[in-house]
Amino acid sequence: MNFHLLDWIILFLYLGISVFIGLWARRYVENMEGYFVAGRRVKVALGSATLIATEIGVVTFMYFGELGYVTGFSCFVLGIIGAIGYFVIGKTGFVVSGLRRLNIITIPEFYELRYGRRVRLLGGILLFLGGVLNMGVFLRMDGIFLTETLGFGPEVLAIVMTVMLIVVISYTVFGGMFSVVITDFIQFVVLSFGMLIATVFILVHVDFAAIASAVTHEFGEAGVNPVANPRFGWTFLLWMMIGSIAISVLNQPAVSKSFASESPEVGRKIFLFTGITLAGRYMIPMMWGIAALAMFGPALNPTTAMPKLLGTVVPSGFLGLMIAGMLAASMSTYSAYLLAWSSVATRDIIAPLSGRTLSDKTTIRLSRIISTSIGIFILVFGLFYELPATAFQFIAITGAMYAAGAFGCVAFGLYWKKANKVGAYSSLSLGAFAPVAFLVLDQVRSSLPAGMLWLVDVNISGFLSFVLAALGMVVGSLLTQKSSPPIPLRVASREGGTP
Amino acid sequence: MSSISIIWIVIFALACLLFFGTAAVITVKGTRDLKDLLRKTETRNQQDA
Repeated sequence: MNFHLLDWIILFLYLGISVFIGLWARRYVENMEGYFVAGRRVKVALGSATLIATEIGVVTFMYFGELGYVTGFSCFVLGIIGAIGYFVIGKTGFVVSGLRRLNIITIPEFYELRYGRRVRLLGGILLFLGGVLNMGVFLRMDGIFLTETLGFGPEVLAIVMTVMLIVVISYTVFGGMFSVVITDFIQFVVLSFGMLIATVFILVHVDFAAIASAVTHEFGEAGVNPVANPRFGWTFLLWMMIGSIAISVLNQPAVSKSFASESPEVGRKIFLFTGITLAGRYMIPMMWGIAALAMFGPALNPTTAMPKLLGTVVPSGFLGLMIAGMLAASMSTYSAYLLAWSSVATRDIIAPLSGRTLSDKTTIRLSRIISTSIGIFILVFGLFYELPATAFQFIAITGAMYAAGAFGCVAFGLYWKKANKVGAYSSLSLGAFAPVAFLVLDQVRSSLPAGMLWLVDVNISGFLSFVLAALGMVVGSLLTQKSSPPIPLRVASREGGTP
Repeated sequence: MSSISIIWIVIFALACLLFFGTAAVITVKGTRDLKDLLRKTETRNQQDA
């Protein structure tokens, strides 16, 4: 491995500066809106940087690298699908502009406006559980990345994971969205540079001819055709086509960047700029994974192949910069996720359950406690949980657990006048059903009868969650229009204030 | 190298170009946005105080 003293100095310097800036930013938090959405004063370029930084973490490099290693060029199709999804949202403002106009802070707040307080509570619980489970795998992947690139053995995984978590929590809980925006921006610059360095060094060591040859040799047609690839196929592609839009617009950590923007128009443009970079964000780490296949062959653990390649080909000095970039990516993701899920827990679960309006001070204090608790949970979860599929598929299925129902409720709630409370309950419950069934039944996969094995197919389960959620909303609403009349949205009353 | 492999590599190169090009623009413009955000917030906080 090439990680030497100079790299350690660069790494510690970077971590120290990040924590210092994150803590310094708390001087800007004047109230709850400042803490959760940076006072809604974020402009296009800054918002795009922070959204991109949120959506790139070591975990994304890891699972895309893993996908590249096990599927070849076929996985590039995900970059194309995702880019189209973001482009559509960015051009039309689909969902994001409608939500931003309402001046809300969390997605379940929309449920209360459109369907009532109890739907907000159910939606908040599902969003929080799905989101935290989704995040559960992040820390583990980050720990594996660092131990592989730094050249440590797996025994130091827990220590690396704990240190990373402490660093991020230390500034997120104090500075809220201001810390997140400022550190995200710095992290975006560092990680872009780190990605450039890594790509150049990899392509110097492994050329495109060797990469293409490895793909053809190992996978044949399945390496270049996603439909022919047994890990993908049409079900997966259909799921991704719907899921990429739904998860993009309803992923609370991502959409909170739109909520923090200074207007609905700026919120839409943030998604447009982010969409332009999306194919690259996906394909660059995928290509690193394919390069690892070309360099080391197919015998390695798919999860560790890409970081092993980086640790081998990137020279000392540059490796420190690159790892700082990767850590930057992770820290920005953690901080945004911790803030997003703690805001959902505080505002959409605890506040409705307590039956009273919480003061700004109490809300922020509770949010800090919950951020810390989530951190402890993902540390324990990351150390002990064994993934049932590839990391990408695990993240997609836990994402579907909340995004499918949320997509049904929000998209129909914004654009279909007949959407009502019963439809919302049905959509949320049915949307979560298939992913939960998958996660539970996968634990007893070996004892399932042959006729039920489709339930533990991650691709079918993910696709089904969106179909069931939409059906639940349409059928539930149409059958109960008289007993449960729809509540119309009143945008004007929301202007200028927060719920 | 097969033609489909070449197509994927060209798509990859375009994606890289878009990513790093946009990153450069966002870095320059984002610095200005960040300064503006901090200045406005400080002014607002001083007015509130």
